[in-house]
Amino acid sequence: MRKGLQRAAVICLLATGALSSAMVTMAGTGERYLHVKVDDAKNGESVNVNVPLSMAEKILPAVNKGNLHAGKVTVGEAQMEGIDLHAILDAIRTAPDNEFVTVKEKDQDVRVAKSNGNLIIHVKGNKDGDQKVDVTVPMKVVDALFSTTQKDELDIAAALRALSDAGDILIVTVQDASQHVRVWVDSKNTSE
Amino acid sequence: MILVGKIALALMGTAVAGVGLLCSEGMVEVNVVEKSPEVHHIFVVAPALLAPIGMHFVPRRHLQDAARQVKPYMPVIRAALEGLRETADVTLVDVREPGEHVTVVKEGGSIVVDVQDKDETVHVSVPIRAVSSTIEELAAASSENQP
Repeated sequence: MRKGLQRAAVICLLATGALSSAMVTMAGTGERYLHVKVDDAKNGESVNVNVPLSMAEKILPAVNKGNLHAGKVTVGEAQMEGIDLHAILDAIRTAPDNEFVTVKEKDQDVRVAKSNGNLIIHVKGNKDGDQKVDVTVPMKVVDALFSTTQKDELDIAAALRALSDAGDILIVTVQDASQHVRVWVDSKNTSE
Repeated sequence: MILVGKIALALMGTAVAGVGLLCSEGMVEVNVVEKSPEVHHIFVVAPALLAPIGMHFVPRRHLQDAARQVKPYMPVIRAALEGLRETADVTLVDVREPGEHVTVVKEGGSIVVDVQDKDETVHVSVPIRAVSSTIEELAAASSENQP
């Protein structure tokens, strides 16, 4: 009887150990990465930067310099030029999917839209070799950015956390005649 | 005879413990191969613990200036090193140019920097814990010098 109990205890201990190991492994694979990739085909250069979001979340609140403090950046009144970003964001958040701004100029086209829970900005030069910029930001990230109670502050740390919780997403692409820049988030620890 | 054996055992135990302690923070590895004009090969493997210990014995007046400069950034450095320690292995930076390749990788508990160009190959591996201890020693030099 006693031996049986001892065996059961050993089996329970081993099972707990195996479960803990599995949980640690699963937690490790949950890491999310912010990738920046710059390819310059003309000069044959490429730069890849992969930043674990958990690391960025730890570093950001520690930076207290200039307008950045405790993971928040203060935007001065002069820079806002009287624009109430919180009010604009609130209007966008409550609006249905739509194209909000379309500007067609001789040199470039600009388009700002909301689609499938993302804020989308397209800027496209109209000359050959001009830059084409696409920015896609999940509304959850935008909400987190403006979640601070201060009107002149942007909560970068909260935005990073929201970005970490968002799925795999291509945030920025910039393409011109020779360079291609991409910024995206996924769970791979390489840029490939 | 038994006494001699005991003494030998004690000495061996002390030596093993000493080596273990010395290697407790991992090893710093530096491997430099110069390809031209002549081939030179420098390969150094040293216990990482020597860096903070060495830093401890450097006269504080020589570290004061560096310590003063690094001190304001210590919260960021601490957060970065802690974040690095906890994150999974990752290639942090990878830069390729014609004839040149630079990588900064977090591998195990170390930061590994590899540089390859047409003239030389450099490989440096430093345990993150050792970087942390060394910088803490440096920062401590600043506070110790304050009146």
